[in-house]
Amino acid sequence: MKIPMKTIAAAALFALAVSVAHADDVPENTIRVGMYYIQYHSTADDISGPYVPNGLNLHVNAIETLYLAYVRRLSEHFDLELAAGAPPTTKTEGRGPATLGSVPYNGQVISTAKWFAPTLLLNYKFLDDSYALRPYIGIGVNYANFYDRRSTAAGNAVSGGPTSISLPVSVGVAGTVGVSYRLPERWSLYLSYSMSEVKSKLTADTAGVIRTTQISFGPRALVIAAGYSFGK
Amino acid sequence: MSRIRGSFCIAVAIAALAACGSNSTTSSVATGTARGTLIENPPFRIASLNAAAFEAQLDASPVGQSLLALAGAPACGVDFYYVKYWTVGAAAESATASGALMVPTGAAPQCSGPRPIVLYAHGTNTDKALNIADVTNSSNTEGQLIAAMFAAHGYIVVAPNYAGYDISSLSYHPFLNGDQQSKDMMDALAAARSALPNTFAAATSDSGKLFITGYSEGGYVAMATHKALQAAGATVTASAPMSGPYALEAFGDAVFYGSVNIGSTEFTPLITTSYQKAYGNIYAQLTDIYEPTYAPGIDTLLPSTTPIDTLFEDGKLPETALFSSTTPVTGNVALDAALAIPANPIFALGFGASNLVTNDYRVQYVLDAVAHPDGAVPLPQAGVPLAAAPQQSLRVAFKLNDMRSWSPHVPVLLCGGGQDPTVFFSVNAGTMQAYWSTLHQGLLTILDVNAAPTAGDPFAALQVGFQETEAQIIASEGQVAAVESYHSTVAPFCTAAARGFFSQF
Repeated sequence: MKIPMKTIAAAALFALAVSVAHADDVPENTIRVGMYYIQYHSTADDISGPYVPNGLNLHVNAIETLYLAYVRRLSEHFDLELAAGAPPTTKTEGRGPATLGSVPYNGQVISTAKWFAPTLLLNYKFLDDSYALRPYIGIGVNYANFYDRRSTAAGNAVSGGPTSISLPVSVGVAGTVGVSYRLPERWSLYLSYSMSEVKSKLTADTAGVIRTTQISFGPRALVIAAGYSFGK
Repeated sequence: MSRIRGSFCIAVAIAALAACGSNSTTSSVATGTARGTLIENPPFRIASLNAAAFEAQLDASPVGQSLLALAGAPACGVDFYYVKYWTVGAAAESATASGALMVPTGAAPQCSGPRPIVLYAHGTNTDKALNIADVTNSSNTEGQLIAAMFAAHGYIVVAPNYAGYDISSLSYHPFLNGDQQSKDMMDALAAARSALPNTFAAATSDSGKLFITGYSEGGYVAMATHKALQAAGATVTASAPMSGPYALEAFGDAVFYGSVNIGSTEFTPLITTSYQKAYGNIYAQLTDIYEPTYAPGIDTLLPSTTPIDTLFEDGKLPETALFSSTTPVTGNVALDAALAIPANPIFALGFGASNLVTNDYRVQYVLDAVAHPDGAVPLPQAGVPLAAAPQQSLRVAFKLNDMRSWSPHVPVLLCGGGQDPTVFFSVNAGTMQAYWSTLHQGLLTILDVNAAPTAGDPFAALQVGFQETEAQIIASEGQVAAVESYHSTVAPFCTAAARGFFSQF
């Protein structure tokens, strides 16, 4: 699913409009640092193209990576969060027959890719500033740019030669539920669970032979982070 | 506001980091179009089968089981590469073509290191999509045959699909054009040699020994390629053309006189299109040769992505009736008698009411054959010379492409079946044997798998095997089926003979 740019712009304007109501004595900027624990609930169409037997599929392995976010307080109940973790390297495994001919397939890491996948979220915080523990929910937009896409040696063997991989940019909705706990001296702790819609068409080119599949990565991210707030 | 801008700088910095990565790339694509240029390097590997997996694949079908019995269990695995290369058409126009490079793999000593190359030319195939490298296609029996017989026993195999097939940019196939098809073979060989160091089995290399073989159309092409490589001063270790129409002029004359071969309604359009593209004088209009029922579009009919049986059913071609069942009248009593429907029931299949070639064209051809006779047909002359000065354009083309134009410097095995109703053994292998009667002892070996085995003959077991197989087909499917399948039944036995012949060098 693609989110039109004007929808994103409208969300940003809404966020700025809400920001007019912020309280003067509460820090308005927060930097969060923590860990993403990302599970992929990936689904993919069977791979199609020349010399591909039926029933070849893919699976994306879980990863952990650094979580980094900037949060702008808009009001007592609204924050704007830009989460942009350290680009993780995802590994894609073959799913299907044990071998293709005599080449191992099932369970082999056949490709890797790094993601730059910032997510912009508008979070609604429950309760008020007097509470140290505040649950929140958020909705926003995820932008995923895949780069450093590589077919592994096992992938090249399966594909039939050196292979280039294309994974176009994905833009999809994102949502989060979490809880923040305010500590003394402007520090806070965060625990959240996020889901994003990340879909892309994987195209593999091996000596001009093109094979494709549509992948829905379905990332589910558990975040544990600490934050430091600053500003007035 | 400035603080917000600062936060986005973080994102920009991460984006810049992202841009530092590079993506894996696929094969390089050649920019030149010179003959023999490998287009994608390394080439695409369609499949990789170790010896056990290949044996299991063969063992899964009756045809494969027969092949295993003849070829023996694979000693090596085989990697099947799909090679694309630049070659030329009949008019020297640049064209792309494709083919197979089969590389032996495995731990056995004969499966890696410097290995001999077998350059193989396939038989006539009406399927335009033919890809002999595609071992995953169960109908690719010829690809399986050469893989099982040669690659699985330590030979590197190079086998073009030919210009005009598969992904080739050429819109026609230069069928039985010795000059073009030998260039196609040499270009496939050059491209495959370029590819070898970059395959997954880079430890398997060219030993420098080159064997050439092929079946039917490919038998002719194999001989034309041997001739061309020899003329170019290139190394040929030995060759084994099989069941090929080498003596084209004699063979053409035999057919037009009335000894119509099985498959003639497929071969004739392929030949006339091929020679028209090469020489431009075979016909002014298609109806100069073909009956009006079949003439429209017949110049682009074959090869086709439509199955040949469908073309027959759709009335695009007659199944067997090359000539009219109404015998033409020339005014020459003896000739008219010669042109009548033959008593031989196999030849008689070539005559019918809904025939392909007009009587006028047949008479025109035969009158030229009478005026400028071939030295082998209908009456063998000493030295079986070509016609001195044929005038009819198709006969001129046959003479130009006839293999009675060279003599080999290295050993040649000509293998075939003596009763072959598709490519006549005596007219072709027999004529070449007569033409090469003065060759040094040992340079030419003739093998008729239908002949009675003799004691001490290294090919006796193959003769026995072929004749037992024929007897089984007659017993189980009948005489007609045995005749129809005779040409293809010979192929694996001659291929096994070729491997045995090559193993001496």
